[in-house]
Amino acid sequence: MSLLEVRGLRAGYGAADVLHGIDLTVDEGEVAVVLGANGAGKTTTMKALAGMLPRRGEVRLGGAELGTRPDRVVAAGMSLVPQGRGTLATLSVLDNLHVGAATRKDRKGIAEDVERWFDTFPVLRERSGQSAGLLSGGEQQMLAVARALMSRPQLLLCDEPSLGLAPIVVQGLFATLGAINAEQGTALLVVEQNAELALDLAHRVHLLEVGEVAATGTAEDFRRDDAVRRAYLGF
Amino acid sequence: MDLLLERLVSGLTNGSVYALLALALVVVFRGSGTINFAQGELALFTTFVAWWLTTLGSPVWLAVLASIALGFVLGAGIERLLVRPVQRKNDTAVLIVALGLFTGLNALDALLFGTETKVMPSPFPNGLDDYVSLGGARLYGDALGVWVVLVVLVGLVSLLFRRTRVGLHMRAVADNPESAALAGVPTSRVLALGWGLSGAIGGLAGVLVTPLAPQQLSLTTMFTVFIAASAAALFGGLDSLGGAIVGGLVIGVLEALVTGYVPALGGAMQQTTVLVVIVLILLVRPTGLFGSRRLERV
Repeated sequence: MSLLEVRGLRAGYGAADVLHGIDLTVDEGEVAVVLGANGAGKTTTMKALAGMLPRRGEVRLGGAELGTRPDRVVAAGMSLVPQGRGTLATLSVLDNLHVGAATRKDRKGIAEDVERWFDTFPVLRERSGQSAGLLSGGEQQMLAVARALMSRPQLLLCDEPSLGLAPIVVQGLFATLGAINAEQGTALLVVEQNAELALDLAHRVHLLEVGEVAATGTAEDFRRDDAVRRAYLGF
Repeated sequence: MDLLLERLVSGLTNGSVYALLALALVVVFRGSGTINFAQGELALFTTFVAWWLTTLGSPVWLAVLASIALGFVLGAGIERLLVRPVQRKNDTAVLIVALGLFTGLNALDALLFGTETKVMPSPFPNGLDDYVSLGGARLYGDALGVWVVLVVLVGLVSLLFRRTRVGLHMRAVADNPESAALAGVPTSRVLALGWGLSGAIGGLAGVLVTPLAPQQLSLTTMFTVFIAASAAALFGGLDSLGGAIVGGLVIGVLEALVTGYVPALGGAMQQTTVLVVIVLILLVRPTGLFGSRRLERV
């Protein structure tokens, strides 16, 4: 059984649907990547899954239907790192991490996790007392990932984590995401424009076209497919 | 000299009440990003209920507790039933709802309790002999009581925001409700709690101010108090607890001094003078004296 099962997901803004029945799955410990052009519905998919948009269709995590309240989705084991990072700018870096543990009650485990993510992202430890709004873009992205991981999700959703970051920062970030997946066994569902980078990380790839999943396969399948390569990889 | 002290004492006492109500405004603003224009009238309503309880023979302290509890329930209820449904559509609509409550609650007071002025007994000893001398000025029991309440409450509220989980969640929701929700904060519960808390603070401010107010307990008691309190909150920057306190005290003292020493401006022009001072301050510092300037790198 898959960790995340999505069947016939429809969602949109106001009266118009952007997603016309998305089917996709993510297995436990798997890295799944969603590719697609601008306007294909990638961010809408992430928002609908996280409970930020009204939706129809079936979304199951570990076999149980996920509700549409963001905090319940987090409590059920799925966290979203939103596009644009969603930094709580006036709170300190440490407070941001503690907010990420909102669904947990185990003080000791929370303190351990803060240490773990400070070890993973040492710059966050250096700046733990500063207002998060003062961090650089790359540091805020690290904070956003660490904050989402504070809820100890089984599945981490990342919406365009490379957006607006310098290439060197992006590479470091993807290496860290890969390590988190390998070491913690956290499954990842990543939406990414930078397809080359995303394919290096992916076990499975879903190709989104105008609100539908047009193709699903392994990263290798996608590298070999000429049409996909030209459209999304540019070589 | 004695006269100056007396004026300072009375200014600080009124200022403490302004500060309390400003604190309530700040709590809601930090949670919802809106100024609750009904804050004063909410406090007046709970105070009328407290007065009504005393007429039934309830001890004053019990009536005060009832006013606080009712303030909490009404605040949280207003958020859940009136604010939340319209906020999803439009932020300006929240202001309209608050203005509607402002007039509606006042009319409800008149309907339930009549239009004649009442005397709300003070929860503190306020007889002619209940004072301590302070360098020639008389410091009466009720003034002292209001000061102590302000200090204790400020301590409690800042502890709540700085040291507790729910306080952290309130700050997170105030900063960015969407991010807070994505991090797992139950935003709707947190918002209702914020409005409830501010309603409770208002309920306390109401029963403290009416025994001191020149109008006693009447339908217009809260108008001037609320104007001063919202000016105090603005003065402090709307999102700063400390700023609200300093703002309230400054306005109280300014009012007392203007009334005392500038007869031409005292009385009718007293509040206008104070508001002009506030406008001047905001011209120089648009975020108020203590407001956080939002810094964000993108």
